[in-house]
Amino acid sequence: MKPRIWMTAFVLMVLAGAAGCSKHAEAAKADPLLAAYDSEPDWTDSQKIIPLSYQQAQGKRVFYQYCVWCHADATPSGPSNRSNLTPVPPLLNDGTTLNAESDEYMQNIITLGGSAMGKSAMMPPYGRMLSAEEIRSVIAFTRAIAQPPYQPPGRPGSQYSAK
Amino acid sequence: MLAEDMGKMTYRTRWTFAVSSVVFLVVLAISPFKDFRREWKQYKRAYLRFAQSRPDTKKLLADYRPSIDQIWLPGMNVVDRCTTCHQGITQASLADKAVPLSFRAHPPIPHNVRDWGCTVCHRGQGPATEVAEAHESTLAWEQPVLPTRFIQASCGTCHQSDLPQTPQLTRGRELLAELNCQGCHRLPGIERPAMLGPDLTSVGTKVSREWMYKWLKEPRTIVDKDGNVVVNGYETEEEPRMPKFRLTEAELRGLSAYLSMQKARPIVPYKIDPHVIAVWSKNPELVSQGEVRFRQMFCSTCHSLAVTRAGETKLIGGEIGPELTKVGSKVNPDWLIAWLRSPEGYLPHTRMSHYGWSDEDLYKVTQYITTKLVDSDLLTGVPKLDTPTDQEIQLGHRLFLEKGCASCHTIEGLNPQKDFGPDLSALGGKNASELEFGSAKIPHNLVSYIQAKLQDPGSVNPAARMPQYNWNPADLDAITTALLSMKGAPATSALQNLVVPRKEAAFRPAGAFAEAYERYKCYTCHKFNGYGGDLAPDLTYEGSRAQRQWLVDFLRNPQTLRPTLVLRMPQFNMTDKDAATLADYMTLVLQHPAANPSAIDSKQFTPAMAALGKQLYEVKYQCQSCHTIGGTGGYVGPNLNNAGGWLTPAWIEAWLRNPQALVPDTIEPRRNFTENEVTALTAYLMTLRQSIKPQKTASIMRAPSGAQGAGR
Repeated sequence: MKPRIWMTAFVLMVLAGAAGCSKHAEAAKADPLLAAYDSEPDWTDSQKIIPLSYQQAQGKRVFYQYCVWCHADATPSGPSNRSNLTPVPPLLNDGTTLNAESDEYMQNIITLGGSAMGKSAMMPPYGRMLSAEEIRSVIAFTRAIAQPPYQPPGRPGSQYSAK
Repeated sequence: MLAEDMGKMTYRTRWTFAVSSVVFLVVLAISPFKDFRREWKQYKRAYLRFAQSRPDTKKLLADYRPSIDQIWLPGMNVVDRCTTCHQGITQASLADKAVPLSFRAHPPIPHNVRDWGCTVCHRGQGPATEVAEAHESTLAWEQPVLPTRFIQASCGTCHQSDLPQTPQLTRGRELLAELNCQGCHRLPGIERPAMLGPDLTSVGTKVSREWMYKWLKEPRTIVDKDGNVVVNGYETEEEPRMPKFRLTEAELRGLSAYLSMQKARPIVPYKIDPHVIAVWSKNPELVSQGEVRFRQMFCSTCHSLAVTRAGETKLIGGEIGPELTKVGSKVNPDWLIAWLRSPEGYLPHTRMSHYGWSDEDLYKVTQYITTKLVDSDLLTGVPKLDTPTDQEIQLGHRLFLEKGCASCHTIEGLNPQKDFGPDLSALGGKNASELEFGSAKIPHNLVSYIQAKLQDPGSVNPAARMPQYNWNPADLDAITTALLSMKGAPATSALQNLVVPRKEAAFRPAGAFAEAYERYKCYTCHKFNGYGGDLAPDLTYEGSRAQRQWLVDFLRNPQTLRPTLVLRMPQFNMTDKDAATLADYMTLVLQHPAANPSAIDSKQFTPAMAALGKQLYEVKYQCQSCHTIGGTGGYVGPNLNNAGGWLTPAWIEAWLRNPQALVPDTIEPRRNFTENEVTALTAYLMTLRQSIKPQKTASIMRAPSGAQGAGR
């Protein structure tokens, strides 16, 4: 009878061991705003809050310092200068206009100014005061708040699915 | 021999041996199987499969090793195995959102991830090799990962000076200072100012006992005739610095009794010239003239008034001084006149400037304040309070110390209470087991604790002495971030070396300038060498920027250069002597090394050059998109109507070459002008002149409030 007791004991041990290694930690479903560096209310619907990454948040900072005066309808210190200008500059969240422009074009027009790109000279060049990284971050912010939402162009390298 | 022995073995023994060998082997196999199934190894294999599905497999797998990867920085106490699973953090091609979070590249930040490790910023358990143990708070591993919402706290642990990249942290630190948290708590890097709350040494001469009762009960709450709360001091964005102390009726009576007896420095009543009163008291325009003067002097730059427009009541005006909507019902009229004439006589550390009042103005403005800025319902709900009894005064005195009032408010003869509340300098590094959660039903972690304590101090500790504040969600997160950043003194000397200390800014002028500077409290709004307020332009280099005569004229009669500004420089009624002293000092001392007047050859500013400059201004560079000349142009920058009478040519040239060298955070675009263009534009701007109208006397000046005023 003794071996049977051993066998039972061994089988139990095996089962216990197997159970021990089947523990899987599920990644907690985090609130997207809790996992965001900063956030920005949607310009067309203030109830909706857009979470921003570090880079987009830096873009937001640069935008509210340099760009807001002409590319938004309200500024932190009162009315916008936008209505003074002809041609009227696009709002930064104007996806209809800006989604069609490539990141490279946006980088160029911010760095070199409007006149260098065949647009209004009222858009000054910022290449000598903002770093390339800051300009990229402003573009990232533009893409984040665009309405209708911005869809990055499909590239062969990014066809991978997350599954 | 052996074979013979084996032959003797019974069948049963052999069978038992075979079975137990098999079982033994199976048990042995469990160990490698468990090892194979380790969580981190599964991530390793998943990354391998993932990399093979990407076009740049070779690059992604260049430094792949199937073992545990560890960032070890002995000086910083960092042993981070996070990169064992998070294998793609330095792979730029994995930045995209479609990549699973565990393999995604780290967003670009100013630090190299591999040089700093992960837990320095994200917290969590570096040496852990299981997901739960690394990220969450477990019994043995207490420090959970910091939610990204508060990640700026980690920047603040080392960077004790403010960074432009961390606005939330900066705001949180500002709030800690503004709300006088250092009155009760020790907070590193936040200096205790000379005065936190108002000095109450003579408060009994200023306000009545009833008003004190009301204020202690509901600070800064405005109720309309029907008893509806129109401005709730706790729900407006303008934070009242005085929090709510949840006092009982007896405590309110005691404290108001004690405070109403504080009359150490009696007011010296000022007699307004009886002739002025005789002329004006019968004039029906007295009060409206007073209001005009109140607006013209730009009291609203520092003080707000509740204004009802389209059924909505809002506080309009600055936040430096108290809101004044009902001040007429609050203060004793004799006190008001004495205060306006000489604020420093009542409060030695006040930020209110000394104004040069004429009796006429003083009479009109005080009449306006005491007849218009009043509310007969202000003291609604306040019981009739008699002359304080000794018992009440005793109770009030005891409460004043027990409730921590003396931490923020001074009363002469009473010892200030420093460090009344707990020291918060190491709060941000505490583990959940070091915190008291009481019966609060909140997750047991530091972030939840701080937020619960801030929102309702009683929720985690019913006996808390901390008063009640009201927060909007953004401010709550900001102040939480600032508190989380305070992790105490660094554990090692290597960490000590990483701390970027806060810059000490000081500006201590002497002589006649210092006297005027102190009298007009220039530093309340302006910055000098990094010291002073943020409301108005930095004057560190004002002497290089503005011409002396312009400074004198501006100080005598401030005119606006930026039409959209609501908060403007007040009208100080400065004497010629004071204006000259201030202007002389600025012209001589507040100079920038890059703007050199002697390097300017004004002979080059020919009419032809100016004409070229005009062309450049209007056509090539289209400066009018931001600057106004005449009636047209934008209002982002200052208007240039009087550029030639205002700016020095040396400043204009230096400014055009590199504006950020003069004012680092200016938004003026830095262009690539040729030297010739710089001269031409300067020549043009120097031709722009507009005479400043001489100051009119108050009685004739009746312009609408939007059209005059000062400041830039």
